[in-house]
Amino acid sequence: MTIKSVDCQTVSKTFYDAVIVGSGVAGAIVAKQLSEQGKNVLILEAGTSRDLTLAGFQSYVETFYGAIAKHANSPYPLNLNALSPTDGLNSYFEEKGPMPLSGSYTRVTGGTTMHWQGTTLRMLPDDFKLRSKYGQGLDWPIEYTDLMPYYRKAEYEIGVSGNTKEQKELDIPFLPGYVFPMKELPPSYLDEQIREKIDGTTFDLDKETIKLKLSSFPQGRNSVPNPDYALYHGDVFVPSGVTSENPLEYGERCQGNASCVPICPVQAKYDARRTLGTIAFPDRVHLLSQAVASRVEIDPENGRVTAIHYKHYKDKNSPQYTIGTAKGRLFVLAANAIENAKLMLASELLSTSGLIGNNMMDHPFILTWALMPQVIGTMRGPLVTSGIGTFRKGKFRKQQSAFGIAIENSGWGWSGTGATDVLRDAVNRNRYGKDLRQELIDRISRQLLLAFMCELPADYSNRVTIDPQYKDRLGNYRPVIHFNISDYCKKTMADARKVSREIFKRLKAEDYTHYKNSDPAYFEYEGEGYWYRGGNHFSGTHVMGTSKHNSVVNKNLRSWDYENLYLVGSGSMPSIGTANTTLTIAALSFLASEQMLKDLNT
Amino acid sequence: MDIDTPEFMEYFLDFSVAVTGFSRFDLQGTGQVSLYFSTIRGIIGDQIFGELLQTFHDLDRKAKRENNQSVLTDGISFEILVSGKLGPIARNIIKLWYTAIWYQLPSPWQEKFGARQNDITFIVSPYAYPEGLLWPAIGVNPPGAKAPGYGTWSEPPSVKLS
Repeated sequence: MTIKSVDCQTVSKTFYDAVIVGSGVAGAIVAKQLSEQGKNVLILEAGTSRDLTLAGFQSYVETFYGAIAKHANSPYPLNLNALSPTDGLNSYFEEKGPMPLSGSYTRVTGGTTMHWQGTTLRMLPDDFKLRSKYGQGLDWPIEYTDLMPYYRKAEYEIGVSGNTKEQKELDIPFLPGYVFPMKELPPSYLDEQIREKIDGTTFDLDKETIKLKLSSFPQGRNSVPNPDYALYHGDVFVPSGVTSENPLEYGERCQGNASCVPICPVQAKYDARRTLGTIAFPDRVHLLSQAVASRVEIDPENGRVTAIHYKHYKDKNSPQYTIGTAKGRLFVLAANAIENAKLMLASELLSTSGLIGNNMMDHPFILTWALMPQVIGTMRGPLVTSGIGTFRKGKFRKQQSAFGIAIENSGWGWSGTGATDVLRDAVNRNRYGKDLRQELIDRISRQLLLAFMCELPADYSNRVTIDPQYKDRLGNYRPVIHFNISDYCKKTMADARKVSREIFKRLKAEDYTHYKNSDPAYFEYEGEGYWYRGGNHFSGTHVMGTSKHNSVVNKNLRSWDYENLYLVGSGSMPSIGTANTTLTIAALSFLASEQMLKDLNT
Repeated sequence: MDIDTPEFMEYFLDFSVAVTGFSRFDLQGTGQVSLYFSTIRGIIGDQIFGELLQTFHDLDRKAKRENNQSVLTDGISFEILVSGKLGPIARNIIKLWYTAIWYQLPSPWQEKFGARQNDITFIVSPYAYPEGLLWPAIGVNPPGAKAPGYGTWSEPPSVKLS
């Protein structure tokens, strides 16, 4: 049984306990938590919802097969009524610089978890105290230990595969005896080649000696259930699989399709449809898709939110729409950091702190690439199975940002020279037949790419704003982006490059890294040029804090200025450390849901 | 020239074997032979496609008659791939086999031999994509299809440098 797809008429006649904007991981978890406690909720989704059926999902896979450029949103059909930003390929973001934010998110049912890679790292305890411990960015009003129980709920909901022992080595505390629901995914052949040469070597960063050590990436991807999870949970974890079919019958392990981004064809990777598809009382959850929230309505008398106005379109290929309103007691914006901020600004919501849209963060990535001396079987398996986490912590964070290193199993594609590019180049040089095949092995199957995910602390001037000049086809605002990278982060990017040189040297790999100065994200630091790639981890645009003067939401993600408005998602995060944001978004959604239920029950 | 005869389909397969480095068995196993043949024909027309296949076939026959493989390899290099007329088509056919993508012909070719209406960059069919030869050439599955199974990525690669 699935949640109930409704029309505008039903919505207009219903008064909901909660109206949720967005059906991504945050909105889906809130809907599940509230409905299971007897609440009736509505989810407004800007995008289409054909992926809720198996046939609809398969059509995404087919669209992906037929796409020439297999970018992050290639399975999801172009929708001019709710555009998905796609690494600068469309003009949804209005980038004002000085540096590009770039990146992408997906506006379909399930949100960006439809294309996410599935990495589920927890944040480190120090990440929550970036200001007080290292004098950078912002502190959280809560600590790691406050979030721990919610991390466990998130790991259950997502279905995390991983190894807690390895994570503990990074000083991440876990409940004694706790293990992830499933065992870590097997490391790739490439991982082992690197581990052999790198593990235990050191690198000096700002007078601190960091030991390099590979560890597996926890991820929201089905592997083998860990029997020890039963000691914590009571039962062994049962992975779920294909949404919209009986998930227990179709729960499948990762098959190594090697296309985690943008789509896992066997649905071994978690996406938010799985949460929507396992709601125990689906009748209590209404979904209105193709409804773009355009305004939050406020009662001027009592300062409470009374409705969400939306523009509903019948056909994504037509600009025709009707206007509707969704009414309820509680309102939850779960449309992601950029869309949440945009909607609040468009609604001219009051903000005592003046911080709506500010403090926007992301994880800029520095990429480095080389050819290994031997064939390593590039392009096999999940996109990442292991990385080096030992640069995620250290005293150096006073001077420069922390970073995590991912060993990409997928080769150089992200740097702009994918397998298809190598093929075209070889054929254009008139290579053919057996020689061509050998050249492809030589130039692709030895490819190694290291991705350095760098922390970028909150900075007031990095922001999303709106401007009446920049609207989309439905007349909704497009995000206007102001973004820059601080020297605190640039210093680390330069050091990341040095780390990569050292690693390549130890591997006897030929370094092919080259940063073209024509790249929009090109910059120079201490005489050397680099470029970065956006991390899609947009956050900070409605930070949580200790008072209405220093933040937009309180520690339960409730707006300081509107008592029946919750802002969930990474927009509420004051720092993001070196952890991909989805797991923490999910944890915070569980935390906020508890407070919402308290509000609704009083 | 009429290429709507079984011989030309045979020439096409022979040519494809020579330029892709894959066997007839492999190529036929993709299930795409006739789709590719008709796609190429539909874009560039019988005249030039036929000329390419005939040129190849003549070289092939000569090489076999003289029992000298270099007649064929030299011919592919110097009579086909460096030819302003046949080279771009031959390269496109290799790319088509490897990626299922037909790439728009370069503008010098269009200027000299005439632009073709259907000559745009496109994937010939969504289900041709997983049949691209690029993936078996490097010992992997096409990303998003024909998954090799859990844990296979830990095993040593199946391809080798010569």
